[in-house]
Amino acid sequence: MKSIAKRTYFALILACILLFGVLTFAIRYFLYADRWVSFTGSPHVYTNGKLDTGEIVDRSGEVLYTSAADRTYSGNASLRKATLHLIGDKAGNIPPRILRAFASKLFGYDKLNGTAAMETSGGELRLTVSAQVQAVAMQAMNGRKGAVGVYNYRTGEILCAVSSPSFDPLDPPNLETDNADGRYDGVYIYRFFHARYTPGSIFKLTTLAAALDAIPGLREETFTCTGERIINGEKVTCPKAHGQLTLRDALAQSCNCTFAEISLRTGKSVLTGQAEAERLTENIEIDGITTIRGNFDLSDATDNDLAWAGIGQYTDLVNPCQYMVYMGAIAGGGTAAEPCLVSSARSGGRETYAAEPRQTPRMLSESAAKTLREFMRYNVTKMYGGVDIPGVEVCAKSGTAEVGSDFNTATFAGFIADSDYPLAFIVVVEEGGAGSSTCAPIAKTVLQACMNVLDGER
Amino acid sequence: MDIFLDFFRGPDGVTVLSIYQGALRLGLPILALFIVIRSARSLLGFRREPEVWAWLRLATGELLPVTHWENLLGRKKSADIVLDFATVSKNHAVLTRQDDGAWTVTDIGERGRVEVNGTQVMSGRVEYGDTVSLGGLEMVLEPVSKEEARLQAKSRTKAGKGHSPGLTLLLLTVFQLLEAMQFVFNRPEDRMTIITAFGILLGVEWAMFIGQKLIKRSGFEVETIAFFLISIGLGVCASADPGELYKQLVAMGIGIAIFLTLGVLLRDLERAKKLRYVAAAAGILLFLANLALGKEINGSRSWISLGSFSFQPSEMVKICFVLAGTSTMDRIVTQRNLWGFVIYTAIIGGCLVVLKDFGVAAIFFVGFLAIALLRSSSYPNIILILVGVGMLAVIVVAAALAIKHFPHVARRFSSYGHIWEDSFNKGFQQTRSLMCIAAGGLFGLGLGNGWMQYMAGEGAADTDLVFAYVSEEWGLLMAVMMIFALAMLGLFVVRSARVARSSFYTIGASAAMSIFMVQAILNVFGTVDFLPLTGVTFPFVSNGGSSMMACWGLLAFLKACDTRQNASFAVMLSNKGGEQT
Repeated sequence: MKSIAKRTYFALILACILLFGVLTFAIRYFLYADRWVSFTGSPHVYTNGKLDTGEIVDRSGEVLYTSAADRTYSGNASLRKATLHLIGDKAGNIPPRILRAFASKLFGYDKLNGTAAMETSGGELRLTVSAQVQAVAMQAMNGRKGAVGVYNYRTGEILCAVSSPSFDPLDPPNLETDNADGRYDGVYIYRFFHARYTPGSIFKLTTLAAALDAIPGLREETFTCTGERIINGEKVTCPKAHGQLTLRDALAQSCNCTFAEISLRTGKSVLTGQAEAERLTENIEIDGITTIRGNFDLSDATDNDLAWAGIGQYTDLVNPCQYMVYMGAIAGGGTAAEPCLVSSARSGGRETYAAEPRQTPRMLSESAAKTLREFMRYNVTKMYGGVDIPGVEVCAKSGTAEVGSDFNTATFAGFIADSDYPLAFIVVVEEGGAGSSTCAPIAKTVLQACMNVLDGER
Repeated sequence: MDIFLDFFRGPDGVTVLSIYQGALRLGLPILALFIVIRSARSLLGFRREPEVWAWLRLATGELLPVTHWENLLGRKKSADIVLDFATVSKNHAVLTRQDDGAWTVTDIGERGRVEVNGTQVMSGRVEYGDTVSLGGLEMVLEPVSKEEARLQAKSRTKAGKGHSPGLTLLLLTVFQLLEAMQFVFNRPEDRMTIITAFGILLGVEWAMFIGQKLIKRSGFEVETIAFFLISIGLGVCASADPGELYKQLVAMGIGIAIFLTLGVLLRDLERAKKLRYVAAAAGILLFLANLALGKEINGSRSWISLGSFSFQPSEMVKICFVLAGTSTMDRIVTQRNLWGFVIYTAIIGGCLVVLKDFGVAAIFFVGFLAIALLRSSSYPNIILILVGVGMLAVIVVAAALAIKHFPHVARRFSSYGHIWEDSFNKGFQQTRSLMCIAAGGLFGLGLGNGWMQYMAGEGAADTDLVFAYVSEEWGLLMAVMMIFALAMLGLFVVRSARVARSSFYTIGASAAMSIFMVQAILNVFGTVDFLPLTGVTFPFVSNGGSSMMACWGLLAFLKACDTRQNASFAVMLSNKGGEQT
């Protein structure tokens, strides 16, 4: 009997499987129940197939969207167009990612009471963006494709996250008939978070951050540019021979030959480590939107490839939002606030969510950040005088990435070094020609709009 | 603090009614917790005190207690009576008690003889006072005197001591009254039906309790758990379709009749052994009837309609299958009659494949494994394991074929693990289940207030997805407690197996509980997308008459292995419970 009795452990195993499964499910409940309850079609939350939650407003309280039995957008067409990618369209081609992530906070769902204490009114989701700034940025892009982003590197608030092209959600284009000229190519993609671009020369800020720490005395060195440099029989070229250069001028002139040399001296592993420190190859979750990861892979690179990689070509790809955060980290002495899109959520008149500032991990050393900041300021005074805004110090770097033989991606990234206006920015224009001439004016317009908003809030 | 205030908030803010409803939402899980914990402490906390049926006196004068009806005698440590002598085999003999109180000794040893009063036997009767010799080691079988039996019955702890089953049942009664009251508020149009139904339930459970008291049995925890689960099941039924309440109660009545009859039949081992053949034949007949008369519901043909009453014979076959699978130890160790059961299982498995009922086939497979494991002798039983694996292969192949040919199965498997990607079509049932579980929170939306009721019937909310139904209306806490309550029955079997009288009962209880466990696993895990949805009922809770009857039938096996003193009506009192003078 004893040996037979022992084998009843079979029933014990089954009971344990059952209990273990229930425990696992209970854990999943506490992790995900708010997502389940607000998923499309959830019978307790949706009325006639529409999420019945509340309003989405911008940082100034401007109502952008009312999510009720009947969905309504802002009355202002240019605001609708400028905030389309944040809100989502009617057909569901652009999903309402932020709303979905915060829906449970809007109707006051909690895991203890379920929807029993759910509020049917008074839900409000306040974004950190300024609809006004978005509209300004959209206008400045003037139909060109690309992305414009500005964020406060002290608080993390994203003030501007524009993706162009866009459309009015109340008057959506028919892509079958309206896109003969390609103006709506990729219109459903939120370029600021979900596109990745060849960075071009703005990537020299990454290379330089790595080199400054890896090569002692680099700052004091001088370089000679003859207009081209042969590495393993292949050329790296500059538009002209820059002659004798200090490191500072090499960055200001964006001298490829100098940076090719610096890349080689810095080496694959240090450069890769720097790209990782900047999280360029990671997905970052920002309030329901997950950024696309970039690319920085030197595993099969030759020395020539390494040289091109260090000047933002080769297979380098970066996401605009990610690189904007890196700009914030330079401004912030090596780290910046993590970006956020939602400042608060309310349900039935009480606050259910409030953003809390968090810092990014350290992306570069404090001394490298100080040097880069000084150099980027020098860039503006020496090269991009047009972007300078009186009364504050704009620091920046431009890039003109070669994509194929005919197209350039124009890039321009930087920040304002001012504690009253702690703003980091990036502008990317596809097929945009030279970085500084195309993007710098857009950056200046949008930065001024942001400064006005911050002034208005004081 | 807001969260706690929300607890008592209704649609019109905090009102008297909303406070009452809030108190109920909190009160029901607390009562349930008490019921489950009290039952658990009683079922899992008892001292395992062996019953002594006879003595073996060695030549040294040492007395060895014989503590089962079937005892393995041998040199190995796991023998029931360990005889650590070089001439005794590891497994030497089985000493079996017959129902008339006489004993039989059976030689199973690979070496050494078994002799009774000097005559070698393979299997022979032993009278009290006879000398049994194993490999030359002589022992005298001595009876337990009446006085000893009386003292033993008196000294063993009575079932339920310290955790009065009556009080637990009283708590359950309060639970049921509160439940019915909430329906009176939330379903005023059906209040007469609901009050009557719960009245009947109360009447039946107290009648059973008093009836068992009258025959001096005090263990009522197992029945209490069944009634606890049924209370939740009736709540689901009242919420989904109050018209079905009476049908469910009739099924419960028939189920209890089966439970009592089977329990009484199982008392007497000789009678029970004969019953096995009847059961085996009945199982086959039920399936043949099913094949002949079955009609297709939800893609599976396992239903027979008798007038307005639909019936699933495969549910009843579970009882027959478990009974047919039991065996006593003398047979187990001599390896007889094993192939019969394997073939029997194969026939039943074949029928289920023809009927396209794969959820039930999986249940039978687990039942088979439980039985095979217990019936394999102490030698590694390779054949059985091979057959088991072979059956698994057949099921897998059949399932693969089914996915190709039977669209209802294919649909369920194709959405497994991807329910959110197709939440309006293939993943509809499970995504809605998870949404509703989330909506219910820990304490539920209140009985009759959920959304799952709109998915009852065809959508299987009240059967296959009942875990979500209970979570939504009663709260996740209650759904979890309902699983704890069931798992407890499984644990009880494992605990009481060591003091069981015969392997017949151990096998029966273990197989029956394995079937309960696997049903709960398939049901709950299917609902929450841990496994494909197989359309299996949760014991006692899922709406469905055949399932209810089968569950009661299987529960009888549990009662038959409960040898706590004066515990179970399905176990004969060893000496009238110590009441005899």
